[in-house]
Amino acid sequence: MLESLCYEEKDALLHNTHPLVTLLFLAALCFQALLFTHPLYLLGVFSAGILTAVVSDAYGKCRPYLKLGLWVAGLLIAINALFVHAGQTVIWQGPDLPVLGRLDLHLEAVCYGAAMGVRLLILLLVFALYNAVVHPDKIMSLFSRLAFKSALILSLSTRMVPAIARELANVVEVQQMRGVRFGAGGLGERLRKYSWLLEVILTSSLEGALQVAESMQARAFGSGPRTHYQRFLLRRRDCIIGLLSLLALILALCVKARGYGDYTYYPQLGPLGSAPALIWLGLLMLSPLAVILMGWGWRRCLSWRSGM
Amino acid sequence: MTYCYPDSPNPAVKNLNLILEEGEFVLTVGSSGSGKSSLARVMAGLIPDFYGGDLTGRVFYEGEDLRDTRRRLLCSGIGIVFQDPEKQLVMTSVEAEIAFGLENLGLPQPEMLRRLAEVMSFLGLSSLKQEFTANLSGGQKQKVALAAVLAMQPRLLILDEPTSQLDPMAAEELLNLVERLNKELGYTVLLIEQRLERCFHLADRLLLMEGGQIICDAPAAEAARWQAAHDRPFIPPVARLFALLRSQTIPLTVKDGRRALRGWLSTATRPPAPPAGEEMPQCRQGGERTCRQPAMLEARDLWFVYPNGREALKGISCRIGPGEFVVILGENAAGKTTFLKQAAGLLKPGRGSISVLGRQARTGNRSEPDRRLGYLSQNPNDYLFQETVEAELRFTLHNFGLDDQGAIENILLKTGLSCVRGANPRDLSGGERQRVALASVLVAGPELLLLDEPTRGLDYLLKAGLGALLQALNRQGLTIMMVTHDVEFAAEYAGRALMMFDGRIVSDGSARQVLGNSLFYAPQLARLFKGFRDDVLTMTEAVETMKNVLPGGELVHAGKPE
Repeated sequence: MLESLCYEEKDALLHNTHPLVTLLFLAALCFQALLFTHPLYLLGVFSAGILTAVVSDAYGKCRPYLKLGLWVAGLLIAINALFVHAGQTVIWQGPDLPVLGRLDLHLEAVCYGAAMGVRLLILLLVFALYNAVVHPDKIMSLFSRLAFKSALILSLSTRMVPAIARELANVVEVQQMRGVRFGAGGLGERLRKYSWLLEVILTSSLEGALQVAESMQARAFGSGPRTHYQRFLLRRRDCIIGLLSLLALILALCVKARGYGDYTYYPQLGPLGSAPALIWLGLLMLSPLAVILMGWGWRRCLSWRSGM
Repeated sequence: MTYCYPDSPNPAVKNLNLILEEGEFVLTVGSSGSGKSSLARVMAGLIPDFYGGDLTGRVFYEGEDLRDTRRRLLCSGIGIVFQDPEKQLVMTSVEAEIAFGLENLGLPQPEMLRRLAEVMSFLGLSSLKQEFTANLSGGQKQKVALAAVLAMQPRLLILDEPTSQLDPMAAEELLNLVERLNKELGYTVLLIEQRLERCFHLADRLLLMEGGQIICDAPAAEAARWQAAHDRPFIPPVARLFALLRSQTIPLTVKDGRRALRGWLSTATRPPAPPAGEEMPQCRQGGERTCRQPAMLEARDLWFVYPNGREALKGISCRIGPGEFVVILGENAAGKTTFLKQAAGLLKPGRGSISVLGRQARTGNRSEPDRRLGYLSQNPNDYLFQETVEAELRFTLHNFGLDDQGAIENILLKTGLSCVRGANPRDLSGGERQRVALASVLVAGPELLLLDEPTRGLDYLLKAGLGALLQALNRQGLTIMMVTHDVEFAAEYAGRALMMFDGRIVSDGSARQVLGNSLFYAPQLARLFKGFRDDVLTMTEAVETMKNVLPGGELVHAGKPE
């Protein structure tokens, strides 16, 4: 189950982009979702996110998150509609309850709940996309230049987790065969039995730590100032996507400054789309659409790929 | 040079004088605790820098005292690869791992890139560049560890039992690479190794260590002769046979050995060998006795699929009678360990049935631990967490609700652990730890003992000790089922062999038949005598055969081609 949500190597654009650029692109989507309250803008960003997931062959990995997001969004709409009575358009008149008061449903509250639901879906989608297209190791490598020791500790721990999990399974088997009944006895006794496992793992890990340290010493660790190996190439496509993402961020700030990304929900819903608002939205969507188009071309046109 | 570890009064290396010439391939052998690893660490500059302790005498690399050499220069001149691949990788991706040492040396990016590209191409690691190091196989991990050291371009390469945790195929591949490094690239190599069949012939020189000293320093053939004369075991079987027969020349490979044999043994004189599986396997050792008695283990059409979808067992049917000593051979992922775990009740069959000691796994009544069933896993460290050796044994007895009644004393005596009964098991050597783990299983008095690769990482002496112990227990009635890659051990001690491939048993018969008829799983002596005498499997048989053939029992002219 967990594996299905984690990173998997794929032949898609975002998987083969410089990790910093991918981060910038996803950050731009995330930023826009947090900046805007206008439903059309939110829907636009959401559609861009979905299309990105599809062209990155990552929709399958995003779907579980979206399913969860839909449930939460539904809950958000329900709670908002039930408890916020700031709107003026009543769409359903409910009964008068003792503590809660009159249970009317207002159109404004439902719409606001739905918009916030879309915002939540975008955030979840960006998180899912990050998991699906960025190898955690690449991010670690990216930041190791800034904080090498922390990155090294993180890297060592990451390596250790599967090894310890394997060892734990072995130790459980071995102790079972030596007559330890892990399921038997009261809570205290069971805890004592599990503490034995911990003791074995801890002792073995400490012994292992010395060997790792020795191997690091033999490879000149700490022998003087170190350099940083640059694993990632900065290709033309990285520059294009990076610039497009920066453009999206700047445009988003412009839109916000001009007030087009905002929307009035209470006390009455404002007009949905003025001409300038739609034009700005179109401009804003240009950069994610360009990336989506590049992603689509990546999978269908090999000559395009070599040109990028 | 003499060296004592901190808090140890006895020197690990004593009055040692040694010169390594450039381009030499030096093989170092000796029993565990003989000072081989300490010697390697001294030469790599890890002693006393990393370990502390007291080092007297001096070590020079290219004329410069190691103590006066900057560590950065030292690390780029001398590289060391350790035993356990799991414990020497620090980064998450293969590429980052190989670059780690280069970053530590402070090399510029273009230089790192060039070295990385070269070493990856040479070792064939390019396809694994982005791979998560924890997901690699043991052999791949060790190759990455070697690559990480090679990228630093050392002139002297030290390898401390690099194949001890690997299966034979991966070990072979690694040793082949080391041979290429020496022959094609001129690396000076100091190799500490237990799998002598695969590397003895590669060495220009052999160092035999004992008690912290080098007691024999000679070319491989000379060293073989010396060891045979002085009753030391660190010689591969072919060389040992010819040394025992006092041959003038000592062949180091099967090919040379067969050439030497050709003059004395004609292929026409071989007795016909019955094909494997002809006799009833379950009747093999105990004869009538085992057939009539109920089986210790009986598997019927046993299938098993792991949760990840891998089909590990495909219709296994087999019966093991009381008193048998059975080895299970086969390549990695053939299903050997899965079958053993099925027998131990650690896995439930998907389809079919397996009954062990009269209890069916299917019905679920085997979830309770059974003291009649002993299980020794690959890693003895998984057993050890008590303060003393004795406490480890008492722990098992306590779990099964058994009283001591002299069982602990008896097992300590049998396993030769009486003298360390009060020691902390974690302070003991690898071979001793394994005996403690085995003792902690045997103390409950099992009737069926399941062992998973117990000879992995053991030297010749320890293996012989383990073999003798298992054989003695087997004679006393203990049924043994053992998974192993070690065909020499199987040929020497086991009565019956099962060969598995792709989840199925492909050969089942006496060890003599299965191993004797096999091409790749045949012990070295069987390969040597194949076509001459197909019934030769062990050293005793080989010596007997040759003594019957040769006048005076000595191969006085051996080595001359026909």
